[in-house]
Amino acid sequence: MYSLTLPWEALGISAVWLVLMAFMVALPCSQVGSFLILRRMSLVGDAISHSVLPGIVIAFLFTGDLSSPWLIIGAGIAGLLVTIFIEMIHVGTRVKSDAATGIAFTALFALGVLLMQLYGGSKVDLDPDCVLYGQLDHILEYEAVSIAGLDVPRPLVTMTAVAFFTLTTMFVFYRVLVLSTFDAGLAASYGYKPVMVHYGMMFVLSIVVVAAFQSVGAILVIALLILPGAFAYMCTHKLPVMLSLAAGHALLSAVLGLYIYAWFDCNLAGAVVLAGAALLVLAWLFGPVDGQLWKWKRSLGEVEKPDDLIL
Amino acid sequence: MMHLLNMEIFQLAQIFQLATTLASGLAELMPSSGTGKAILASILLGASCGMLGCFVVVRRMALMGDAVSHAVLPGVVAGLVWSVDRNPFVIFTLASISGILGAGVVQMLMKTTRLKSDAALGIVLAVFFAAGVVWQSKEKSATAGVLHFLYGNASSIDQNDLLMMLVTSVLIAVVVWLLLRPLLVVSFDAAYAMSLGYPVKFLNALFYTLLSFSVVVALQAVGVILVSAMLITPAATAYLLTDRFKPMLLWSMTFGILSGLAGCWVSMSYNKMSTGSVIALAATAFFALFYFVAPRHGILVKYIRVAKRKSRTHRENLLKEIYSILERKEFARESVSLKSLSERRRQTLEATQKDALILQKYALADYSEENRSLQLSEKGWRRAMEIVRNHRLWELYLTRQADYAEDHVHDDAEKIEHVLGAEIVEMLERDLDFPEVDPHGKPIPRPQSEVVFVEPKKRASQLVNPNKN
Amino acid sequence: MSKVDHPPALEIHDLSVTYHKKPVLYGVDVEIPQGSLVGVIGPNGAGKSTLIKSVMGVIPSSGGWVKVFGKPLKDSLHRVGYVPQRESVDWDFPVTVMDVALMGTYGKLGLFRRPGKAERKIASEALEKVGMLSYANRQIGNLSGGQQQRVFLARALAQDSDLYFMDEPFVGVDAATEAAIVTLLKDMRERNKTVLVVHHDLQSARDYFDRLILLNMRVVAEGPTPEVFTPELLHKTYGGRLTILSEIADRTAKMS
Repeated sequence: MYSLTLPWEALGISAVWLVLMAFMVALPCSQVGSFLILRRMSLVGDAISHSVLPGIVIAFLFTGDLSSPWLIIGAGIAGLLVTIFIEMIHVGTRVKSDAATGIAFTALFALGVLLMQLYGGSKVDLDPDCVLYGQLDHILEYEAVSIAGLDVPRPLVTMTAVAFFTLTTMFVFYRVLVLSTFDAGLAASYGYKPVMVHYGMMFVLSIVVVAAFQSVGAILVIALLILPGAFAYMCTHKLPVMLSLAAGHALLSAVLGLYIYAWFDCNLAGAVVLAGAALLVLAWLFGPVDGQLWKWKRSLGEVEKPDDLIL
Repeated sequence: MMHLLNMEIFQLAQIFQLATTLASGLAELMPSSGTGKAILASILLGASCGMLGCFVVVRRMALMGDAVSHAVLPGVVAGLVWSVDRNPFVIFTLASISGILGAGVVQMLMKTTRLKSDAALGIVLAVFFAAGVVWQSKEKSATAGVLHFLYGNASSIDQNDLLMMLVTSVLIAVVVWLLLRPLLVVSFDAAYAMSLGYPVKFLNALFYTLLSFSVVVALQAVGVILVSAMLITPAATAYLLTDRFKPMLLWSMTFGILSGLAGCWVSMSYNKMSTGSVIALAATAFFALFYFVAPRHGILVKYIRVAKRKSRTHRENLLKEIYSILERKEFARESVSLKSLSERRRQTLEATQKDALILQKYALADYSEENRSLQLSEKGWRRAMEIVRNHRLWELYLTRQADYAEDHVHDDAEKIEHVLGAEIVEMLERDLDFPEVDPHGKPIPRPQSEVVFVEPKKRASQLVNPNKN
Repeated sequence: MSKVDHPPALEIHDLSVTYHKKPVLYGVDVEIPQGSLVGVIGPNGAGKSTLIKSVMGVIPSSGGWVKVFGKPLKDSLHRVGYVPQRESVDWDFPVTVMDVALMGTYGKLGLFRRPGKAERKIASEALEKVGMLSYANRQIGNLSGGQQQRVFLARALAQDSDLYFMDEPFVGVDAATEAAIVTLLKDMRERNKTVLVVHHDLQSARDYFDRLILLNMRVVAEGPTPEVFTPELLHKTYGGRLTILSEIADRTAKMS
């Protein structure tokens, strides 16, 4: 039983902040990511998460503060730049969009790394390590904000605000988002403007990615974007259920990630991702829709195809 | 076909054996100076990534390259942890296995679930990478140099690494050389390859293996994260330059090698910079350069082409208008006044004068300053007639053969008249049975008949119907 | 009846479309009176689906204009309904039959309001009409081809538009569904709806539609079925593309 209580005993209240932080990072990612999967744009998330780096570095070099809002603006500009570059390359030449994406985001990422190495050396907290691993566990070192008598780490407050903003936006535009994803033709005939939806989505995605960037680094963000949605996609045929399951996956991987972190004393962001991956494997084996077990049983004729029974 | 392929595979095994026996001897031939090593490493990684990159780009699987390159990280960490003396053979093997495994999981996810390729790639990329990160964070002391593998560091490459890179690159080159045709067919049209009896599954597996190998060759110089730059950018640059695959391979390897050399050189001169980033940026610089100046697909060239066409269209429109002014006067006069042309074009006299000088510059007309009038040259005449003929032929074609309404065809003909080539004009005339008048009853000129410069009246009748002469 | 009171349901003037630098439609002129069932027929690659998509503004046109009920498309979008081609739908998408039918009511809801009881009632009625109400909770991928088509028809019914575009609704459906669709179309005409159907079967086209548009890159003929359904015009439509026209259109498209 000791191992089950270990993180809470070893870390005390910090454990709560860490889980909450991991969840607040993973939650907005899971919701935006679910739509990325449905729109078959998962790799745009990959591209954006790499390309925001130079924007963040430049903004950081000017402000010297990792929690400055300028970082979000810088990253937003970099995110916009990469979409423009991709368009320029694949509209202007015969290079296809996948290669155009690859060219654009590796170039921006390389630029970001170089800037960081050349000018960021003396400054703390922004180095190649952080880009890779994130600093989820560093949040405790920040000054705390006092809310209702509790000392809440400041990054957690920021992240909660981002999560709230993302969820509200998606709730308000839910129908528009669903329809333009499912049937752009009909959406256009309602005057929804699929292009606007696309750019709006990129905008929210950029914000989420930047906010998550400090916690989990440029590369693990992709996991937080895609894993929850993929997990839920394997489990259900209904969109609202899928979104709730994705949120549940975010929460579970945050908690399980903390356990892995406490048990093995490893990188926390990576642990959260691995916990998420373990859940995905479970869904792959036992998920009601794509679970291999049901497929196997069905092929043996043991169970009926559970048409409307599914979640 | 099967038989041939088996032969090729047999040859392959022989060559591989040969390579391993040669390897020990080669070790002594490896350059010992840091610069020498960096140069050789750049050549190897540029060549192998450039080669495989061409397939990646034409198969539209740039993001597969990215996923595989991230997926090698757990293998690298395993190698660093398990091999105490950091045997490059162990590290490279484990990294390759990890990469191939990643590619396999992508295939499996796509086959067994409803997830589409993008999500499958994203999952593999992120989860494999996370596994590497977590493991590495546990074994910090054993994996001290892992950042070299992540961001690339040419100066960390030693002789053993180099040997490993050499053997792998040679292997890649030999396999690609032997199996170029089948690999290409599979990339282009898998169904057709299947119908030819090619072992498509095997060839695809082989391709992913080679891809992992090339990632591994590039690993130490470029680093896990930016390997995909080497797989995509040089090949995409080559794609701008040529339409055929073999030259594309050569160009891609050239750009790969040049970017590699640039990256190694810069990063070794400025210690702070990681080699991978410089290599990626160098490759991007080549791409940017050819994005603008590539002979056929470059933006600049396209821009110039459009500008040239615009100015030609402008001249042709001027000629056409001079023609129609003359036509209205039944070709009674040789020249048109600047004033009548400016009225017809609804523009100022100054602008018209500029136009007149343009025509003079291209020897299409003579402009007389004192009379303020323009007279078409022989070349100008011919071109004017051609344009008017094109316009009227096209109008006729649209109304007669394509069932368009008569009031509709003028605007279209305004555009089309400039692009009809001699071949199509011939086809049009044949299809329309050599017409003499357009839908509006105006005569269609015949520039191809030998028009001699005679008196205006006579010429007019010749223009309209040369046979009456 | 004056033209002002009853403007044509659809008026297309000189519409040209290039798609991925390939010309698909060239100078299309069409005028369709209200309350007619119109079949769009022509060979593969003639631009039938493109015509519908560009009229709806999904694919940008390179020239010409479209008027719906006498107004620019932008102002009459709410009067237009759409049934997509079956292949273009992502059948794995996590939506149920009811969700899809409800989408038909979104147009009148605006951007933010959520569908309520009234909308559910409309959607249920539409599903009932096509005989799909008992499947309301199924995910759309778990239906037969004919059932899938009916769901999208129900959605179109729920839209309650005045002008419908249907892209190949008869492809891959069973005979029962085909008959049901035809009945539905006739019923819609009774209520003075105008329906434009992309269709590929010549034989049934004559029986199903009041008017036909014969399309092959350009409009070969357009008018009441008995006038247009002549061997000569059909031959012209299906007798291959006009090589010169497509060649030239190709060239101009690549240059722009």
